Amino acid sequence: MDLRRRWPPVLAGLLIGLSMLLAWVVAGRGIGASGALTAIVATLQHWIFPTLTERSAYFAPYFAGGANPLNDYLVYLLIGVLLGAFAGAASCRDLSFEVQRGPRATTLGRLAGALAGGVLTGFAARLARGCTSGEGLVGAAQLSVGAWVFLLCIFAGGFGAAYFVRKQWI
Amino acid sequence: MDLAPFVKTGLISEALNLWLAVPIGFLFGFGLYHAGFTDSRKIAGAFYLKDVGVPVVMFSAIAAGTLGLWGFGLAGFLDLSKVYFLPTYLVPMAVGGLLFGVGMAVGGFCPGTAVASVATGRLDAVVFIVGFFGGSLLFGDLFPVWGDFYRSDFLPNARLDQVFGTGLGVNVLIVVVAAVAGSLLMRLGQRHFWTTPKDESLAPEQVLKYEVPYVTAAIVLALAAAFVPTRAFVKGPVPEPYYIVERSAAGAAQRSIAPTAVTLGGGRSGAVPTPPAKHREGC
Repeated sequence: MDLRRRWPPVLAGLLIGLSMLLAWVVAGRGIGASGALTAIVATLQHWIFPTLTERSAYFAPYFAGGANPLNDYLVYLLIGVLLGAFAGAASCRDLSFEVQRGPRATTLGRLAGALAGGVLTGFAARLARGCTSGEGLVGAAQLSVGAWVFLLCIFAGGFGAAYFVRKQWI
Repeated sequence: MDLAPFVKTGLISEALNLWLAVPIGFLFGFGLYHAGFTDSRKIAGAFYLKDVGVPVVMFSAIAAGTLGLWGFGLAGFLDLSKVYFLPTYLVPMAVGGLLFGVGMAVGGFCPGTAVASVATGRLDAVVFIVGFFGGSLLFGDLFPVWGDFYRSDFLPNARLDQVFGTGLGVNVLIVVVAAVAGSLLMRLGQRHFWTTPKDESLAPEQVLKYEVPYVTAAIVLALAAAFVPTRAFVKGPVPEPYYIVERSAAGAAQRSIAPTAVTLGGGRSGAVPTPPAKHREGC
């Protein structure tokens, strides 16, 4: 397999499926990204507002008994994701500081879209208890009903919203 | 037998388990990069059927994961009762999914792909992550506002085979076939609406070369899961949920697996289905 070029989608999917399998076999749990991001931001807020965060109904369990939410499986996984994506991009000579945008989008418009999309997905991932990887892929492979509903609703929401943001992308 | 999950059978320590997450994440990130998921235009392109590589990758990952998970369980290698299973809260997950989809169309990323994209230096991904932090805080800090909704509509028997009343093996086959059919459908859509696909990896000769063997293998495995009497593969007396349930026994197995929400089968104690209190193992 040529590492200098992107792989065909099915092989890339197989690799992602393999990482899922390894996580099940080694750790007994799935892969995921949003959980680690929430742990990071909870820690950031804990530095600035310790009492407020410890009293929060949602974040309190993160710090129960002086626990450090960063000492978490998903955070280690996240470090691996960063390294893996970096290695992939480096082998394809695809590392660059740039703002990816559609042909008709402005840089500022794209960044505003990224911020708004981030806020929406950040909220939605917590409401749905996961994101596309941990819930969509892992849950769907486990034949979880909630995961399939979540996955279908992602596509419904995405196709529904696509028309209104078409100037961003096409 | 039942060597896995390694950390829960005591084969490796908790600390080693954490460190092993790094190479597993490496594979995941490497896969995300090669899937093209670090490019927000490619992800958003899926919602215009302009570049359907994204759903094809997702479907392949799901098919591979399903076959592997239930295959290992069937072989008695992986103790499925010790694997974390995503609980279902139907309406919150549906609403969350809709919002998430809108967010993906607007932002061009999901959390995992944005993290991978940050590693390649893309600045829109950095901004997306900042937004994601904000959205997570918004949810967590104003949790009393939507906490009741978040905890509502818990579904105890939330595996597809339990809901449909079919055997597990049949459902594995359904998922694999749905993944293959979904990929084909997406490609037909792309061909219909966009005459010049940008991604050369979706060209027919590439598809034939790389995909046909893999898709054939997946379907053969899934057919085996669905129609070969799998009980014979497992030596000795084995509790129900460990192997792929026979179609005739599906009803009985369904009842015995029913009370568990947090694990993939296993516990037949505790008749009352209660939502898991706090699950820090989720995504």
